[in-house]
Amino acid sequence: MNFSLLDFLESIFFEFRYAPLIIQVAILFVFVAISLTLVAYFSILRRRFRGFRRDKNVARLNELIDELLIDNVLSQDPESVETPGQTAETAAQAFHLPQFSKRRGRQVLIDRLLNYRNNVRGAMGDEIRTLYLLLELDKDSFKKLKSRKWNRKVRALNELSNMEIGVADVIILPLTNSRNRELRAAARHAYIKLSKNEPFKFFDLATEPLLLWDQVELFRIITTTNHIAIPNFAQWITYSNNKSVISFCLKLVVHYHQLKAIPAVLKLLDTKDHLLRAEAINCLGKMKIADAEDKLAYIYNNQPLNCQIEILKALGRIGSGKHTEFLKQEFQLSTDFELRKHAAKSLTNSEPPGSELITELLETSSAENKLILKHCMNPLIKF
Amino acid sequence: MSKILLIEDDEVMSTIVKRILQKAEYQVDHVRNGKEAFEILEHTGYGYDLIITDIMMPYANGFEILSKVRNIPDGRQLPVILLSNAGMDDMIQEGLKLGADDFLKKPVLPAELLMRIRRLLNKEVS
Amino acid sequence: MELFRNIYEGSIFFYGLAMLIMYALLALLSFRGVIRFKRKDENTDYTCMLNSVLAPGISVIAPAFNEGVTIISNVRSLLTLNYSRFEVIIVNDGSTDDTLDKLIREFELREIDFAYNERIKTQPVKRLFKSVNVAYDKLLVIDKVNGKSKADASNAGINAASYDYFLCTDVDCIIEKDTLLRLIKPFMEEEYKKVQQIGEPCPECGYVHIVEEGVRVIAAGATLRLANDCEIDQGVIVRVRPPRKLLPRFQEMEYIRAYVLGKMGWSMINCVPNVSGGLGLFDKEIAIKAGGYDHKSFAEDMDIVTRMCQYMIDNKLRYAVRYIPTTQCWTEGPPTMKVFSRQRTRWGRGMAEIITIHRKMIFNPRYKRMGLVVLPCSLLFEFLAPIIEFTGLLYYIYLIATNSINWDYALILLAFVYLYSVMITTLAICWDQLTLRYYKTWREVIGLALMAFLEPILYHPLIVFFALRGYWFFITGKKSNWGNMQRQGFGQRRTVQTA
Repeated sequence: MNFSLLDFLESIFFEFRYAPLIIQVAILFVFVAISLTLVAYFSILRRRFRGFRRDKNVARLNELIDELLIDNVLSQDPESVETPGQTAETAAQAFHLPQFSKRRGRQVLIDRLLNYRNNVRGAMGDEIRTLYLLLELDKDSFKKLKSRKWNRKVRALNELSNMEIGVADVIILPLTNSRNRELRAAARHAYIKLSKNEPFKFFDLATEPLLLWDQVELFRIITTTNHIAIPNFAQWITYSNNKSVISFCLKLVVHYHQLKAIPAVLKLLDTKDHLLRAEAINCLGKMKIADAEDKLAYIYNNQPLNCQIEILKALGRIGSGKHTEFLKQEFQLSTDFELRKHAAKSLTNSEPPGSELITELLETSSAENKLILKHCMNPLIKF
Repeated sequence: MSKILLIEDDEVMSTIVKRILQKAEYQVDHVRNGKEAFEILEHTGYGYDLIITDIMMPYANGFEILSKVRNIPDGRQLPVILLSNAGMDDMIQEGLKLGADDFLKKPVLPAELLMRIRRLLNKEVS
Repeated sequence: MELFRNIYEGSIFFYGLAMLIMYALLALLSFRGVIRFKRKDENTDYTCMLNSVLAPGISVIAPAFNEGVTIISNVRSLLTLNYSRFEVIIVNDGSTDDTLDKLIREFELREIDFAYNERIKTQPVKRLFKSVNVAYDKLLVIDKVNGKSKADASNAGINAASYDYFLCTDVDCIIEKDTLLRLIKPFMEEEYKKVQQIGEPCPECGYVHIVEEGVRVIAAGATLRLANDCEIDQGVIVRVRPPRKLLPRFQEMEYIRAYVLGKMGWSMINCVPNVSGGLGLFDKEIAIKAGGYDHKSFAEDMDIVTRMCQYMIDNKLRYAVRYIPTTQCWTEGPPTMKVFSRQRTRWGRGMAEIITIHRKMIFNPRYKRMGLVVLPCSLLFEFLAPIIEFTGLLYYIYLIATNSINWDYALILLAFVYLYSVMITTLAICWDQLTLRYYKTWREVIGLALMAFLEPILYHPLIVFFALRGYWFFITGKKSNWGNMQRQGFGQRRTVQTA
């Protein structure tokens, strides 16, 4: 038996030695393919098994956490003013369980607490934070922050900023210009939220662009964090070299209705960048800056299409009625469909539906223009 | 004891709201999506004193539930509170237009939640 | 004769080698891509995007033809997608059943005067509808004359779309609820770095024109799977399960390989050849400038991506087409051989068409990665593969007939090719399991993976045959009267790479 196997192997080896190169390579790869396939099967099974076990574990832990929180934290009467921290302390006692002594269990606990904190404000939210601190979960987060893996760092930053645990500027600021996008974004978010003195400092330092995706999150953080002192955004609109910072500041100006930044926005109308110019016009329109109307109408003819559309929209938003004639002219004479549509939209926005002008236009316009007008007047259509 | 229907797909959020309401001695039924909501409403014959609903959910969103409730004789007077995420001001406007009585922004402030519920329920009585 | 034989064998050898290397590279690239995506995804909070005023608007366009049975629940599920700024445009492509009536009744639709701007020429649009119920104010229904193609209907939707991006899908596709959030992300992540001023001040406007030296994402796609045996409740996937029947089951496996391993790998080097017609998010401005979908094409989805890329290169703009590995869309795959053969023959024909229409770009260095990587790869490894395999088969038969075959070597080579293809497929399924653990039990996954052993024997020959049939129809210019029939449910098209 043994002998014949050896014989067989020997014959294969013999064949292999004297086969052409192609065949040798092929045989080699047959073995590579078989082993990689087996590895793939093995890792699929292992992953599924582990994942299944982990999910079950997490579900069980979450249930336990929910129960403990319901009994200890959520049971306080929201309207009574108890001594803050007291409930958290009893809750912390309850959480001293072996399940929460290992790293994994603690991570599940952190995630769940964060989830709770993101859903509830006020005293109850503060209790959750105190609980996080009492259980010394912040130490876990700080340990993660020191990790060399970027994804662990990002996670740590998210945890700390959501729990509002202060982190030293020296640690965060270098990360705000990290080459890794995700880390950079997380660091910026944490910085805005946590920095006591100058949360907007990184606007000055930002060399890397603010991605649109990150702007969304930054915007949410800035507008929902209570203690942030809102600076005058004009300083960045005027001086920043980072285009994305300027465009982001324009959106913030609109959100905070920051009239004192308007001169800077008006200056931006002269920028060479037509995309930025369009954003500036948009900002002026949303702020309803009536003083800007004349200038907008004046520069209109020299603008590329995107800016022209923005100007028409802005005139409609401001709606002072001063430039109705201009809008009407644009609506009647422009050759571009989009321009006519926006002119019509702005007209119908600023004029009451039964007004003389609209009736006149409805009567005198071409079939297509009439359709555009009706489209714009229909309350069912938003755009 | 007033009966409240909570329609919310997020597990944590519903745990919190449910607990707050139970603590304040309301009877709470909780469903996770639009389909279950319609089922339970049909089943109980709209037998609730108040509905609290999330906006974005599977099967049918909060607005659909709201408009359906408003289209039914039993539901015309039924107070509905929308739960919305912060920043969805447009949506809140839309919801109020559809006939929502009030709205609450997430994250919720427990005291505020109870205050709004009481106001609506008391209005109902008087 | 001997010389001819050597040349033939030699070139086949290099061709095969190139293909194997390409697959190995794709596997490596897609592995990196999947891992990177997973890391990022774990740390991404999609919810903040949900409520943001900064979220870009998306128009979801879904053409429908005689879908009366399922239309209501499918539209409902589109309306409950998780996103704040979007609209749903249903294009009723001249249905002959009660599709439109059902829509009108269920969603309280009223005909409206709509300023429809026909930027892309389509069959005439008859009427447009909006709902009087505010709960459905995201819905717009277009009723148009049947254009005998999904492309024509999609174009009408693009014309009526009011947002900057559009998601192209099919009414019978089931879309995962976070799809818009996930697909818009790649568009918002590209960096607009430097702003360059070009030339002298423009005589017309007096400004120096500027160009942003950044990459603009023009399209993004995600993985598709088969809905055949999934549990679906009112347009929502409740449980993902691989198809039980053999034919759809092979397709599921093939889809995973083509998307998770193929497209994801290409995406890493920005060489995605096409975005599936079943699910793709596009930049509307570029799509319109590129002329929209070609209603005559048999492969309109690959065609539009190719033309959009061409437009970008012609205008010296940098662009990217991105892929995400998670499954966002489930589609009904052809369950019977008859429908399947139709679908694949059509794809084969489409492939031949793409290669001929865009032949000027192939190997043209002006078109950079498009001309030097994407299209040549499509030509060599997708278009030519069935032909070469077929000639290889003939050659083998010839060798056997003349009894000049070295059976040992032939079998070793065969075993090698066979095992290699099994390996690639298994790896693809392994990568797929890395993102989300699709399917409920490990038995289902292994059951699917085992299909890789049968594929080269049962499924692959079919694909080759149908592709060749498609080429034949293309050459002979056979008129096809498939019209709308083949569009139902199988409108999605993507090129499956064959190993």
